[in-house]
Amino acid sequence: MVNSKPCHAALKPSSCVRSKPCRRLYHSYEHERPPPFAPTESRILSAALSHVPTHGFATAALIQGARDAGYLDVSTNLFPTGPFSIVNYHLVTQRLALAKDAPSTNDTANNISENIRTLALRRLHANKPIIHRWQEALALLTTPAHLPTSLRELALLSDEFLFLAGSTDVTSTWYTNRAGLAVIYASAELYMTTDMSKDFVETEEFLTRRLAEGEKVKGLVGGVGAWAGMQAGGLVDGLRSKGIWI
Amino acid sequence: MNTASALRAVYRPALRQQSPICDFLLPSFSHSQSRKQYASVTTSSASPKTEPAPETLNSQSAAKRRRPLSKEQQQFLDSALRVNQAGELAATLIYTHQTLPITRLHPHLRPLMHHMYSQEAGHFSTFNAMLIRHRVRPTAMYPVWTAAASTLGWVTGLMGREAAMACTEAVETEIGGHYNGQVRVLLSWVKEMEEKGEEVGEEMRELVDTLKRIRDEELEHLDEAVGEGAKEARPYELLNRLIRSGCKGAIWISEKV
Repeated sequence: MVNSKPCHAALKPSSCVRSKPCRRLYHSYEHERPPPFAPTESRILSAALSHVPTHGFATAALIQGARDAGYLDVSTNLFPTGPFSIVNYHLVTQRLALAKDAPSTNDTANNISENIRTLALRRLHANKPIIHRWQEALALLTTPAHLPTSLRELALLSDEFLFLAGSTDVTSTWYTNRAGLAVIYASAELYMTTDMSKDFVETEEFLTRRLAEGEKVKGLVGGVGAWAGMQAGGLVDGLRSKGIWI
Repeated sequence: MNTASALRAVYRPALRQQSPICDFLLPSFSHSQSRKQYASVTTSSASPKTEPAPETLNSQSAAKRRRPLSKEQQQFLDSALRVNQAGELAATLIYTHQTLPITRLHPHLRPLMHHMYSQEAGHFSTFNAMLIRHRVRPTAMYPVWTAAASTLGWVTGLMGREAAMACTEAVETEIGGHYNGQVRVLLSWVKEMEEKGEEVGEEMRELVDTLKRIRDEELEHLDEAVGEGAKEARPYELLNRLIRSGCKGAIWISEKV
């Protein structure tokens, strides 16, 4: 009981996951972003995550985590989404961890698509310790009640990949690139849950193939667009040369 | 009159309430829970000479701002930068499509059109860089604005020099007022920070400077367009009203999506 009170206070200003989904905002370089989880919350959830390999994404892991962090079993009531909060914690912390060790991706000489592949692989490998339980997490993620949060998290992850890779598109391709990458990453993650190969080489190959296909489609669409633009411009110029007033 | 105010009295609290229906049906129009809200379309026709000039804007200190900007401020910057990029995209396209029909008839306008175009292209790349740097998403209406601006530039170009200049005048009036409003909001933040004794930060100072410079250049285009006979366009009143309300609508939409 002694512990539950400050715990509650510390949990109050927590992430925006449970309240309204926060919107993407202007990103400033002059100050650190506030951490996504309150200290108590993150202590319980990270401890719970270490119990996932044995207990799975279940309330049991959450209870074990609360005990490890020195709180009563009842404090798990402070996570209204239950086991899903562990999944969410894993997703958010792993997404933010990408930025912390992304030194090689900062030099622009590096190829952007190569950077994306590296980052996506790094993110996939972060699932390694809990991969045998990841299907439970996917089940939770696709529950209708959690779907908005998980889709949002996927969109943020895709955005993070492209930002860290140094992508510079600010036209409508901003949307299509993010959507395409999100689909590719999600399918690779699903593939990884059934991958029995050593060190997940098959997942790596799967990802590489999908990304190459994505590039091909992008090139094709871009080519068709450029061709149509050229034809239209040529038509207008041709008519102008015939003396038509356009 | 009474019915209207009664309706408003029912509608306003309904919007403010956080009901699932509002959340679902009115996704981004009902974000009125925040304490402080900035007007959705920020414009100001006040003269730039009367705007405040906080001293910290000229300070050379390289100290960084420690306190994060508030959520409302970040939201404002987010939509402001998005609108600015969309506006500059439209401006470059309008000038691109006007140039050929205009210079064919009036070759002496070639340097002016080129000058205005290259300045707009410079603004466009400035805002593109800002969007990438600050992780602001471009407007979802990008293809729509591309088509609309190209058509507008082409049609007014075909209508002749006066119509094209009237178009420039209308667009630059709206855009100039819009930048002016943004500069005023940012300056009021700077003043607030000064009063609280906070560091303004290099980022904010640079942003205010850039916006001021761009606004002045846009207003310069406005003067040049008026000087080239914008007021002599045939249905001047109609063109002016139509284009200005179009700009306002586009700004409003780009702030949201």
